[in-house]
Amino acid sequence: MELSDANLQTLTEYLKKTLDPDPAIRRPAEKFLESVEGSQNYPLLLLTLLEKSQENVIKVCASVTFKNYIKRNWRIVEDEPNKICEADRIAIKANIVPLMLSSPEQIQKQLSDAISIIGREDFPQKWPDLLTEMVNRFQSGDFHVINGVLRTAHSLFKRYRHEFKSNELWTEIKLVLDAFALPLTNLFKATIELCSTHANDASALKVLFSSLILIAKLFYSLNFQDLPEFFEDNMETWMTNFHTLLTLDNKLLQTDDEEEAGLLELLKSQICDNAALYAQKYDEEFQPYLPRFVTAIWNLLVTTGQEVKYDLLVSNAIQFLASVCERPHYKHLFEDQNTLTSICEKVIVPNMEFRAADEEAFEDNSEEYIRRDLEGSDIDTRRRAACDLVRGLCKFFEGPVTGIFSGYVNSMLQEYAKNPSVNWKHKDAAIYLVTSLASKAQTQKHGITQANELVNLTEFFVNHIQPDLKSASVNEFPVLKADGIKYIMIFRNQVPKEQLLVSIPLLINHLQAESIVVHTYAAHALERLFTMRGTNNTTLITAAEMAPFVEVLLTNLFKALTLPGSSENEYIMKAIMRSFSLLQESIIPYIPSVITQLTQKLLAVSKNPSKPHFNHYMFESICLSIRITCKANPDAVGSFEEALFMVFTEILQNDVQEFIPYVFQVMSLLLEMHKNEIPRSYMALFPHLLQPVLWERTGNIPPLVRLLQAYLERGANTIASAAADKIPGLLGVFQKLIASKANDHQGFYLLNSIIEHMPPESVDQYRKQIFILLFQRLQNSKTTKFIKSFLVFINLYCIKYGALALQEIFDSIQPKMFGMVLEKIIIPEIQKVSGQVEKKICAVGITKILTECPPMMDTEYTKLWTPLLQALIGLFELPEDDTIPDEEHFIDIEDTPGYQTAFSQLAFAGKKEHDPVGQMVNNPRIHLAQSLHKLSTACPGRVPSMLSTSLNAEALQYLQGYLQAASVTLL
Amino acid sequence: MPVMNKEGERMRKFKNKGKNVDVLRRQRVEVTVQLRKAKKDEQILKRRSISISVRDQSVSPGEDKTHEVIPLSLERIAEAVNGSNTNLQLQATQATRKILSRQKDPPINQIIELGIIPRLVEFLTRADNAALQFEAAWALTNIASGTSDHTKAVVEAEAIPAFISLLTSPHMHISEQSVWALGNIAGDGPLYRDALINCGVIPPLLALVSPVTPVGFLRNITWTLSNLCRNKNPYPPLNAMKKMLPVFICLIEHEDKEIISDSCWAISYLTDGSNDRIQIVVDTGILPRLVELMGRPELIIMTPALRAVGNIVTGTDEQTQAAIDAGVLAVLPRILQHTKPSIQKEAAWALSNIAAGPSQQIQQLITCGLLPPLVELLDKGDFKAQKEAVWAVANFTTGGTEEQVVELVRSGVLKPLLNLLLAKDSKIILIILDTISNLFLTAEKLGETERLCLLVEELDGLEKIEALQTHDNNMVYRAALNIIEKYFSGEENTDLQPGTGQDGLYDFSVEKQDFNF
Repeated sequence: MELSDANLQTLTEYLKKTLDPDPAIRRPAEKFLESVEGSQNYPLLLLTLLEKSQENVIKVCASVTFKNYIKRNWRIVEDEPNKICEADRIAIKANIVPLMLSSPEQIQKQLSDAISIIGREDFPQKWPDLLTEMVNRFQSGDFHVINGVLRTAHSLFKRYRHEFKSNELWTEIKLVLDAFALPLTNLFKATIELCSTHANDASALKVLFSSLILIAKLFYSLNFQDLPEFFEDNMETWMTNFHTLLTLDNKLLQTDDEEEAGLLELLKSQICDNAALYAQKYDEEFQPYLPRFVTAIWNLLVTTGQEVKYDLLVSNAIQFLASVCERPHYKHLFEDQNTLTSICEKVIVPNMEFRAADEEAFEDNSEEYIRRDLEGSDIDTRRRAACDLVRGLCKFFEGPVTGIFSGYVNSMLQEYAKNPSVNWKHKDAAIYLVTSLASKAQTQKHGITQANELVNLTEFFVNHIQPDLKSASVNEFPVLKADGIKYIMIFRNQVPKEQLLVSIPLLINHLQAESIVVHTYAAHALERLFTMRGTNNTTLITAAEMAPFVEVLLTNLFKALTLPGSSENEYIMKAIMRSFSLLQESIIPYIPSVITQLTQKLLAVSKNPSKPHFNHYMFESICLSIRITCKANPDAVGSFEEALFMVFTEILQNDVQEFIPYVFQVMSLLLEMHKNEIPRSYMALFPHLLQPVLWERTGNIPPLVRLLQAYLERGANTIASAAADKIPGLLGVFQKLIASKANDHQGFYLLNSIIEHMPPESVDQYRKQIFILLFQRLQNSKTTKFIKSFLVFINLYCIKYGALALQEIFDSIQPKMFGMVLEKIIIPEIQKVSGQVEKKICAVGITKILTECPPMMDTEYTKLWTPLLQALIGLFELPEDDTIPDEEHFIDIEDTPGYQTAFSQLAFAGKKEHDPVGQMVNNPRIHLAQSLHKLSTACPGRVPSMLSTSLNAEALQYLQGYLQAASVTLL
Repeated sequence: MPVMNKEGERMRKFKNKGKNVDVLRRQRVEVTVQLRKAKKDEQILKRRSISISVRDQSVSPGEDKTHEVIPLSLERIAEAVNGSNTNLQLQATQATRKILSRQKDPPINQIIELGIIPRLVEFLTRADNAALQFEAAWALTNIASGTSDHTKAVVEAEAIPAFISLLTSPHMHISEQSVWALGNIAGDGPLYRDALINCGVIPPLLALVSPVTPVGFLRNITWTLSNLCRNKNPYPPLNAMKKMLPVFICLIEHEDKEIISDSCWAISYLTDGSNDRIQIVVDTGILPRLVELMGRPELIIMTPALRAVGNIVTGTDEQTQAAIDAGVLAVLPRILQHTKPSIQKEAAWALSNIAAGPSQQIQQLITCGLLPPLVELLDKGDFKAQKEAVWAVANFTTGGTEEQVVELVRSGVLKPLLNLLLAKDSKIILIILDTISNLFLTAEKLGETERLCLLVEELDGLEKIEALQTHDNNMVYRAALNIIEKYFSGEENTDLQPGTGQDGLYDFSVEKQDFNF
């Protein structure tokens, strides 16, 4: 493409078309631009347009297009063609900086991004003059230009904050420091001076403060990896000025906006970060400055208001103090009683107050409120920072701090008592203070696990928490209600059981509260209480203790799901699941109503599944209903099928992907409940389950395999007789699974079930193919996981069909195959088999090979007899070999299915452990001894002679132990 | 300054637990790039001889004996030096020496530009005029004390052989001044160091060491010898090292602190290399003395002794064991708590390398009570020392037995370790995450996964790991994600089960395994 007016014109038109809302016009234009972007001069045409076009919209469009072009094409990927010709690259680098600096802000931002993309690839080696070019602009005195440079520098250097140290990186940083540190320092000083000369000029100040923010950010990036010599030498300049800026205030810079942080806040916040960086990493050098910063930051906190716009600054500042006060050599800065009192009074208490913004969130954005308050995603909030400071101070000053706060708590409670409806926020703060003071360690699962012994939690609970929850109206003071419920929840391990029992009806009652936060907390608290452990691995709260409340609990839980805003409330659904699991058979009378409500819910949410946790607990609850009911009355399975199958069919037909894995699991559970032959309704579905489309989704594989296994367990004969034509399809699924390194174990589960349950004659014709397939996989891409499953399978086969059959089928595939597998796979790898049942299967299978396989005694395979026995004794006695070859280390990681899939496994649809050997062999060691004995009676003298020639002494000793235990001797 | 550029290799080793553990040892490798100020506690490379006192008439070099010299202009100096008048030569040379010996900003460049260096070197050979020899030697010493270019100007004027011959000068002060000059040349770098060695500097230098050598002179000799051991790329030749080593073994027993210090520095240079070099030093049996010196209160002794021992434990398991047998583990706890951060760091580095050894050595580390100071350092130490402590813990969890790792956790390592996840250093964060994974592997073997999960959460580690899932560094974020996915998701499975096991209905163990992708 020529750099001609005609081309500029063409390009302008196409660019304009890319903005057209009509895809019929837009798409072809986009396609055209893509098709010409490989041509020489294309980027230069764009640069010309963004500079010179008459229309502003074209300028902006060209700049965006240019940036995206750079993003896609600039990087030179090894073994791929260079997508931008060298001349264009040179021209772009020569022009882009001045162009960026002279452009209006909107375009400047795009070009600045483009520069940092180019810089990431070319800087410093292939763009040596970039730095000088940028630094020269510092002298321009034009802060529009200077800010452009600073912004670009920031985007170039910010990666120093997270990259690993390397010679390459440090060479670059050194180069940057050499060229940039001094001019930056001079600019910093000059800018600060300008700030005081322009102290009365609001618009100038804004520009200057934007520069200072960027300078402070650059300081952070340049000082991140290590303390550069230059900055150590100039620490006085930087820190003194940072300190001054922290204490600076100027009415002209204050903003009216309550939400958005202003320039002053952003700058101070960044300075707190810079000070924290130095305090953490360069303490030795920074020590002389630190006390000054502590004082300044503390004063800053005392004078900063409650508005949301200060939140980041305040939480950064408090976190700085929190990190410093834990250091032993700064302890003295805090230990004075007056200092402590003042920190508590002026920094901690005010930041724990419930603010208007919190109240708004509580009412209108309860999901967000709950997430912050309950799940700890409150890392950047003021309350959280204040809480961390309390914990930090308690490290050295637990006694005094507790004392100071007790006074505050009492006075706040008194304030509340005077006039609850006006002063309820005082009580909220008091509860929060007690909570943060008392909690030393906390987990989601157990609540507080270590508490401050100086706080009497039970007393506070009885005197100040319970009364609120006992009040007649569940809707009065909802924030305090939520506080009270949360208190029970987190201190459940500290409060005595009898108090918890008193609380349970109160919590059940609050499930009816209108406030989403309150009824959600009530559900969550109940759920947590129900999971507490008592003695002997039972639940702390027993089903018997809950007996009086079963009906009201279930009623209120399901009613809560109808409250506005809670129709898919995961906390409530989880509480339902947990209640079922705790109450067990006492829920049976309510099942008809419960299952109706659950199926209705299921039908409703399946239209648009959006809350994965809610859905999961809903299916868990369904499984529990089935298990509990059918355990008492197996015939009830039919009524569940009746209630559920209609919805299930709809889900399958509409292909509701999120739910399908669940449906398979519930169906497996139902099918396994049947004692007799498989019902016809299931058989109708069987062919559909073999549909490849289902198996393409990784999330379906585990539950589908499980379901097919249930089919084989219950209906192998029916399949053999009525669906014999589907057997190849079934084996096709097996083949599909075995081909994948991630899913091969699932393939083996299926294969094991086929071998175990299908009538032998129905699979006769496929057996050889099965083995060939397995051998191919073994040959081409064996992994430890595959070998383990393979070993279990061939031994299961041996148990089912006999050792001779195993040898014959192997050798029919290829002469001497059996010996090869013994020698190369079974003997060396058997130690890797894990799992009790799996080991037992292998032990019994190998015993059969040793004692029931004539070729092992009288062919060339005989030489493998003792090594095999030795390996078997090893399997019994040696620790499992869990080494995994290096190259396999990442298989699991790469092939791990996504969160959704792993998540969809239902705990309460769990499968019983299945032992195909079962009662046939109780003790495999004794079984080996007995089998050897039998063998030795058949050919007297041979067994002892084989043992004595090559079995090692230790193994022999073990073997003698087995023989003794079995009371047999070898002849 | 020690650095860890074997990290890449180390990280790989974390994944291959138990194999080839000795690679975990991290040598002190010179970085080519340095952002920090040069370390203040390094030994001095070059020294200038400054005229301090007017009254002191002692004969030792570096102090002005004849201060009654008329100041001359540079032009006059050049003229006189190049002239043939011996008196004027002496006067001018002395004036040069005086200018170069002044306290501040000696005009070395200007003197070089005068072009008189070849002449000054020539004066060194004037055995007939000891005063001239001495003044020239002094002046050249001070020129060589400057930058590399300055030293180069002296060497290129063929000063090396001249100074070496002067080592055997009958005048002790001349011989001593030459030792000093040679020290400055040797300190310039490996090139001149080896040039000196090739010119045979070592035998006459060693010959100067005798029981009657005055302490001041001996200090100079020790310092120059230590410079001959210094620098890498390449290392000093092995045979030179072997010649000097026995002398250091004697010098290190001297009572003078500076002599001890410089001998230790020399040993620290000799051990800062491959294992066969370390072996040569270990074979001399010097380790017990080094360990003793490492415990001395004087910084100038403790610093180089600690470095030397620190270098030795980067060696093979046997070499490390020799250091352990010499008692290093008894001294380390105190040094780990030293007030000076650089000492803490050096000690922690040594500890990290001992922790990289086989489990028997780790056991000795436990037995000698190193865990409490390690945890203390991890909690409260200076950041540089904390980083080394993290390495120590990481190595410990890689090579330690299950019981040892349990002991480590019992000693309270987890809290400070998890706190350091807030460190502003991606590499350290990654190593901590790997260490946490190691701990979980052990916990899994012991069936204690759930307890470890709880502990990590209680200590606010979980939220820190969760937060790291948004870290800008890819490897960090993936490591965090792996831990979360592996150990902290799916709370339901480990939660309370009703009617456990009574009818087998709720036995989930096999199910869990089935879904182990």
